[in-house]
Amino acid sequence: MATLEALDNEIAELRAQISSLQSHRANLSHILLSTPQLSQRVDQRPVTNESQRRKATKVVKKITNHNCEQTYRSCAGITAYKVQDPDPYAVDSGNILGIRIDVSIQGKFVDAYHVLFNRPDPSNNNVLQIHKHTIPPCIPLELLRNKFMPVAHKEGFEGVEQDLVRFGKFLRRELVSWHLRSVAVDQLRKEAGLPDAKTREKQEMEKYPVGKVLNEWADEESDRDEEEEDWIEDEERNGRQDPLKITDIDANLPVTQISVTWSNGNTAIMKITKDGRVEKGVVRSRNGARVSELGEKVVGRIEGLIERLTA
Amino acid sequence: MAPPPPPPKVTAPDYKNIPHAHRIPSSHREVQRVFSGLSRQSLLNLVQFWLHKTRRAFCRPYLSGDKSDADGDNGAYVPAHSCEEVLEFYAERNKSGHGSKRELLHRILEGDWRHGITMFQLATAEIEYFLLHPHTLQWTAMRLTKTPRDRANFQDMEFTDESQHLPQFHAPTFLANLAKEITPIVKAHYLLLRPKSYPMTILRVYIHDSPYSNEASLAPKKKSSDNATKALFLIWPDGTDFVYPSLLTSLGRHADEGSRKLKEMVIEAIPKAFSRPMGRYQLLPTKFSSKLLSTVLAYRGPGKSNNAGGGFNIFVETSLNQNSLDIIASLGREALDKNKSTKATTRAPGPGRKRKLEDPEVHKRTKRWNTAQSRFGNSAKPDDGKGINRLEVRMDDPFPPVPNSSPRQNQETSGLDRAQAAKRGRKGRPSLLDRTAEEQEQIESSDEDVWIPDVRISFHGSHVFAGLRQLVEIGIVDGEKMPGWMTGEAGVTIGVVKDGRIRRGEVPGF
Repeated sequence: MATLEALDNEIAELRAQISSLQSHRANLSHILLSTPQLSQRVDQRPVTNESQRRKATKVVKKITNHNCEQTYRSCAGITAYKVQDPDPYAVDSGNILGIRIDVSIQGKFVDAYHVLFNRPDPSNNNVLQIHKHTIPPCIPLELLRNKFMPVAHKEGFEGVEQDLVRFGKFLRRELVSWHLRSVAVDQLRKEAGLPDAKTREKQEMEKYPVGKVLNEWADEESDRDEEEEDWIEDEERNGRQDPLKITDIDANLPVTQISVTWSNGNTAIMKITKDGRVEKGVVRSRNGARVSELGEKVVGRIEGLIERLTA
Repeated sequence: MAPPPPPPKVTAPDYKNIPHAHRIPSSHREVQRVFSGLSRQSLLNLVQFWLHKTRRAFCRPYLSGDKSDADGDNGAYVPAHSCEEVLEFYAERNKSGHGSKRELLHRILEGDWRHGITMFQLATAEIEYFLLHPHTLQWTAMRLTKTPRDRANFQDMEFTDESQHLPQFHAPTFLANLAKEITPIVKAHYLLLRPKSYPMTILRVYIHDSPYSNEASLAPKKKSSDNATKALFLIWPDGTDFVYPSLLTSLGRHADEGSRKLKEMVIEAIPKAFSRPMGRYQLLPTKFSSKLLSTVLAYRGPGKSNNAGGGFNIFVETSLNQNSLDIIASLGREALDKNKSTKATTRAPGPGRKRKLEDPEVHKRTKRWNTAQSRFGNSAKPDDGKGINRLEVRMDDPFPPVPNSSPRQNQETSGLDRAQAAKRGRKGRPSLLDRTAEEQEQIESSDEDVWIPDVRISFHGSHVFAGLRQLVEIGIVDGEKMPGWMTGEAGVTIGVVKDGRIRRGEVPGF
């Protein structure tokens, strides 16, 4: 049995080695093929086999084009391309214009989003309509479309004048600001000394093996058990002994709202603007009373929130 | 047995919700159905969950202090002295792995909760049940949109100020509003829960068709014959404006008319509960339903795949989205792999002569496979967990002209068709696919020469699009001539085909 396991391990190791070597090889060959003036040299130097030379030129050209494309893509943020819809019944014989929006944050590429347009109006080739897209629903794509694209009606197209460039710009702004806000919330968690998303998830699992019940309050005052009262008092006593700290920071998916929970039972709910400013917030203590001195502090840039709250 | 709660003297109808702590007998049919479907681990998890300090108020087990003299000692289990003792017992079972599911179930229903299961317990158990058995409910995706009158204002607004294009969800406010709509007509128990496994909020509404909200009224009446499930589930995925109600009854039972009406009423109350002054919402169908929650989340969820179905899903997640600075990834590993696989197939057939004979077949197969790949992309794989169980379409395209047919014949048949349609109209419940009067008029007023019969096609199966993909791969369906709606790119499960495409515009969210 032991030998079997050892063999399996060895095989797995070899596989890993092979794949790492393969990627290394791909990397090297790519670097070699991207050498400047390579195509000139291939063209000018004498070779014994003419067909090999043609092949080499082709490969070099392909890589050069690819490099050019990727460089453009990483610098421009929004790029356009053409796609052929495979559907034989597609509008405008399947001609599609796609735009790709690259989102990069803190020097790192995060994600890419696509919007594909077709031309539904045979009489007017300039009118575009969104055909497919990969924009998550928390981005107000529909509002942007209403603002910058003509809307289809029973007879022809009406509405605003089409402005594809501004549409793309604003859509990119929405996407990037969304990503920036979520990064900012992660940063807040780090600043408050809270565990990162993964360990947090694990802890939540242990705390709520089924899920988190949102209406977990007794419907009537009389239903409240003495035991529960005891428990709350217990917690409060503990809270008084321990130094006050933030126990949880949470945001909704579009990151328009952040909630902060303290160890003494205070909770804050804040509204976030698109450009990452805390617009307004309410802090309440466990029994529902408003803590106004903290509530005034929350307003400002999202980045300094923890500093403002702990100061 | 538990002492029956003293019958309240005044049973006047009231305007309260059913509280979490009210109990229904452990022998109740709903309790039996839900609890017997749970796994051993989920039973243990639930007990842990119920006996957490914050929840004991509405999950109190039967303790020795509750024993009344009239009871005698007829229970199969000795009641524990404190919640900690009960908790410890189940924690020990969890650790040691002793005791079968049946044994634990018996202990829960006949021992520690012999005096009845509270509404809170039943609700959490049933949510656990459907997360364990994702096929038991049919989910229909609906969308909350602002009513048209408001939309006119909406367009004028500077959109950057409008940070809330999605309806705002605040649990206590929402529940209070919902209860305000529902309680005068029917009593209900509500439980809002965020499950650990999906990014969404679940609302379970237990409909109690009675004017009373007291505990005694919850016990089943002896002669009651309704066997429809009383719980309705509603799901809000995070960061979207969709709602998925579980419209149909679970476990294949047919709901009687009365309980169906009640459920519809609850669903109608949803947009009202979301509405605020100057911001009215309405609930619109999105023509999508599936038994699998993961499917609904993929087609009407918070992610990127809602409007990129079928072959277009290559834009969601593939080398197309790779980091453009990562040269190898952006070149596409697929290109590398493809080289390899073609080499392998050309080498495999062996001796020269045989290879020549087989080549056309192999070539055809790879061609078909490539066509399927180009039409379906990476979607419609049998095990991707994104299957739909039903696809229904109505064809509104004219029937292809049949050679040797005189116009007269055509007219006769269309008359026949109309007669058939009339006949169908009389019986049965109207289908969602029935033509509206307007559409019918449009068809009749159009060119006389075309014949547009009322043809409906429906596909059934565990994963309709994976099946269609397989048909393309083995060459039964021509992958190149196949219309796009057969690949699932329209993202609907019910629709009307016009000009070879599913008519859009009716689907909100384009």
